Amino acid sequence: MVNRPKKFYLMMSLLLLEICLFSLPSFSIQKSKHPFKIRDNLQREVVLPHQIKRILSLQPEITRILIALGQEKKLIGIDYFIHRYDHLYPLLKPRLRDLPLVSLSSESINWELLLRLKPDLIFTSPSETHLASSLQKKTGIPTLVLSSQGRLTSLLEEIKLIGQWVNQEKRAAYLCGFFQDKIKMVVSTLARTAPLQKPRVYLAFWSSLTRTPVDYEPVKVAGGINLAEELLPEDLGTVGTVVSVEKILAWNPDIILLHGNYLPEERKITPALVFQDKRLSAIRAVKNKQVYYTFGFWYWWDPAQVLVEIMYLAKIFHPEIFTRIDLEKEGNQVYQIFYSLPHGFTYLQQRLKWENGWSK
Amino acid sequence: MNIKIKQLKFNYPNFSLEISDLSLTEGRVTTIVGPNGAGKTTLLKCLSGLLTIPPGSVFINGSDLTTLKGGQRAQLISYVPQEMTSIFNYKVLDFVLMGRAAYLPLFSPPGEKDQQLAREALTYIGLNNYAQRSLFELSSGERRLVLIARALAQQAQILFLDEPTTFLDPKNEIEILQLIKKLSLEMKKTIVLTLHNLEVAAAYSERLVFLKKGRVIAWGEPAEIMTESLLAKIYDVSFKIIDWQGHKFLLKGHQE
Amino acid sequence: MKSKFISSQRLTWIMLLLPFGLLLFSLGLGPYPLSPSDVIKTLLSPFISAINVPEAFSVIIFRIRLPRLCLAFLVGAALSVSGASLQALFKNPLINEYILGLSSGAAFGAALSLVFLGQNFPPQLAAFILAVVAVGGVLLIAGHSETHLITLILTGVIMTAFFSALLSLVEYFASPYALQSLFFWLMGNLSLATWKDIILAGPLMTFGIIVLLLLRWRLNVLSLSDDQVKALGINLRLEKILVILAATLATAAATSVVGIIGWVGLIVPHLVRMMVGPDNRLVIPLSATVGASFLILADDLTRNLASFEIPIGILTSLIGIPLFIVLLKKTQRVWL
Repeated sequence: MVNRPKKFYLMMSLLLLEICLFSLPSFSIQKSKHPFKIRDNLQREVVLPHQIKRILSLQPEITRILIALGQEKKLIGIDYFIHRYDHLYPLLKPRLRDLPLVSLSSESINWELLLRLKPDLIFTSPSETHLASSLQKKTGIPTLVLSSQGRLTSLLEEIKLIGQWVNQEKRAAYLCGFFQDKIKMVVSTLARTAPLQKPRVYLAFWSSLTRTPVDYEPVKVAGGINLAEELLPEDLGTVGTVVSVEKILAWNPDIILLHGNYLPEERKITPALVFQDKRLSAIRAVKNKQVYYTFGFWYWWDPAQVLVEIMYLAKIFHPEIFTRIDLEKEGNQVYQIFYSLPHGFTYLQQRLKWENGWSK
Repeated sequence: MNIKIKQLKFNYPNFSLEISDLSLTEGRVTTIVGPNGAGKTTLLKCLSGLLTIPPGSVFINGSDLTTLKGGQRAQLISYVPQEMTSIFNYKVLDFVLMGRAAYLPLFSPPGEKDQQLAREALTYIGLNNYAQRSLFELSSGERRLVLIARALAQQAQILFLDEPTTFLDPKNEIEILQLIKKLSLEMKKTIVLTLHNLEVAAAYSERLVFLKKGRVIAWGEPAEIMTESLLAKIYDVSFKIIDWQGHKFLLKGHQE
Repeated sequence: MKSKFISSQRLTWIMLLLPFGLLLFSLGLGPYPLSPSDVIKTLLSPFISAINVPEAFSVIIFRIRLPRLCLAFLVGAALSVSGASLQALFKNPLINEYILGLSSGAAFGAALSLVFLGQNFPPQLAAFILAVVAVGGVLLIAGHSETHLITLILTGVIMTAFFSALLSLVEYFASPYALQSLFFWLMGNLSLATWKDIILAGPLMTFGIIVLLLLRWRLNVLSLSDDQVKALGINLRLEKILVILAATLATAAATSVVGIIGWVGLIVPHLVRMMVGPDNRLVIPLSATVGASFLILADDLTRNLASFEIPIGILTSLIGIPLFIVLLKKTQRVWL
């Protein structure tokens, strides 16, 4: 009887470890011998069509990459997330506004509409585990499960890979180069500073104080420590877990970041609420008023947004080092390069209205 | 306590009970007899307030039954169902104790006095050793006795018993009927019961009420009214009555 | 015979006092390391000014662990007492506290709030209101067929199905983030417990529990067939409504703050009956304390078993059902 809980704990953690190992090999697209055969994120083998002209992307990350590659004319429909939760969508490209809505959040698909649109290729996200195989089985259209799963290297590989498929290798290489340069700027600046005091950061994501990602690369790149990194994700193929308030107290973070990629009226957790919560008053971040919004995950990544996020976090974590970064200017440049949107970042600021502002 | 029935009417979709005038008097055992479906149980339920009856049709000691509140009524009348149906396997004493419900305010559990009354009731029926036994261990005769004990704990002067002897063996049947007799003699209870066995009904009751299709066909002292022709009329089968030392024996379906 | 009586009386006392001991013990458990002496010092610090503890200690004890454990206590007691009472009232040991459509009403309410209504209409309030609406609807629809308990239960089943359909409809329109919050809520959890929850839901739970505790003996009588209940002079309709009202208030208040925690109201009363028999004079108070203990224990496990919080609703089923089966096999007799 005494031993049982220990054993149970052990079994439980082994089980979780397995799940973790299974889900973490991030980006596993391997080109096999046949040039058009691919093994996707869910280990499915998919044969790509010889010509990709009509793409249905139900994976917002891919949609964004295709737009960044200047391929929005190949898009023939959109998914519910872009339709309802994408704040930049109305600005992106005029053509996109007329695209029909094909999916709903409950993984349900408007099948007849989908068939009428006649896509050559469909993209879905690995978070919707069964969608791809049922799509391919029912329609016979090649369906690829593809995502960065929140890893920056995978995101870049993904951009390059899609660039190859749509014959935009140059543009893809340019975007990746721009992306890497910006990151290099942050990383090398930090490397020059020794000794570097890395702030210990707690992330409250997905509209909840206690839900947190065990893996969030922008924090690492921007020179911070994600306290939840020691934990395991609660579910296969995801990066989130749930902790207790007490755990947050035990961590005593220097900085708390709140998922702020929601419109003000949809936000469930705000810095004001964190400051009001008496349970959190003993935490260093609360005492020192170090509670900020952050973009957080979009639907996996918006490549432009995650780049801005890294610079934004770097400024929060190390304000004395990154004094020279003008975030508004940098941000607008990123949106200009990726989507030819001159004031994308300024517009986002206005939509999201983060009350503690963009880092001073 | 006297019960007076005046123009009692009660309707089911395919059945109606109509009793124009009937009185049941104190200290007597009255037995309602009649074929299946005559309305015996319905009559008992009407009299004990379990079925809703029109006002002004049943009077207990002169006051209209329908004007009495549940608790007041239960302090005057206790109804003993044919079988005890309990999903939960209570202890015998706890079950008998439930007879005290009418005397207790909503939020009070029974006190020492109620416990005492319940124990006395068990002793009276001769099951004082059974207090801590569980209901499901009892034989069917014992279950009937425990039901009567609960009615005693209820301390009502009027006792309605619905077929208290059905499915019992002769020994248990006689024990129950002797107990009923004793209750009427010693405690002066007004007792009304329904029975199928006409011979014991005649032997143990002061009054018989013959019921058929919801109507009273005859009522009175057993010796006076129980005739072969009446029985034949009520049960649609021929009877022969044999009188032996004051006891009546019946031969059913007798061919002359 | 006498010694057995004493031991069963001792057992009763142990079960009555168990949750208080467990509550004190559990104050020392959790991811934030606190030694027993830290806990005691912190507990005494508001009363004795000579004792000084770090702010974090008093936050952990008074703002996190204590409200959470008190909530577990109250919710465990409320669900178990409601379950036990409804089982008696409906003369059916298979009934649980959610039988009259309460859980699906609450779930729909929470979903409405989380998906559509946002901050202005907290899920707690919406869940409570719709839980009460669901039960009220059942009573209204079943209406005058008061003597037919089957009608009432069947209406409850129908109401449950109706609200489940509404819930699916809301889920259909929900964003994945809202869905996540919703599933988190549906599985039941105590991790976000605050004193505010206790101030809001505590009085209702306490009220329901007290009413049912006061009715404990009455529930014995109500568990008999309806004819007998009436013949014993009880206003069946009034008392039935009173029991349903008290159980509904307690369960709806509990559900509104912690979500749907299954099996407690079914298993705990049976555990108690296996130990002390069916007399509700004992079953109701002991259900309260055993239910409280059960939920405090389950919560201890959710907090300490893994790095993340396992929703307590999953654990109550995972622990409750095997425990129930073991006892069922061991008892090998009718305990109802």
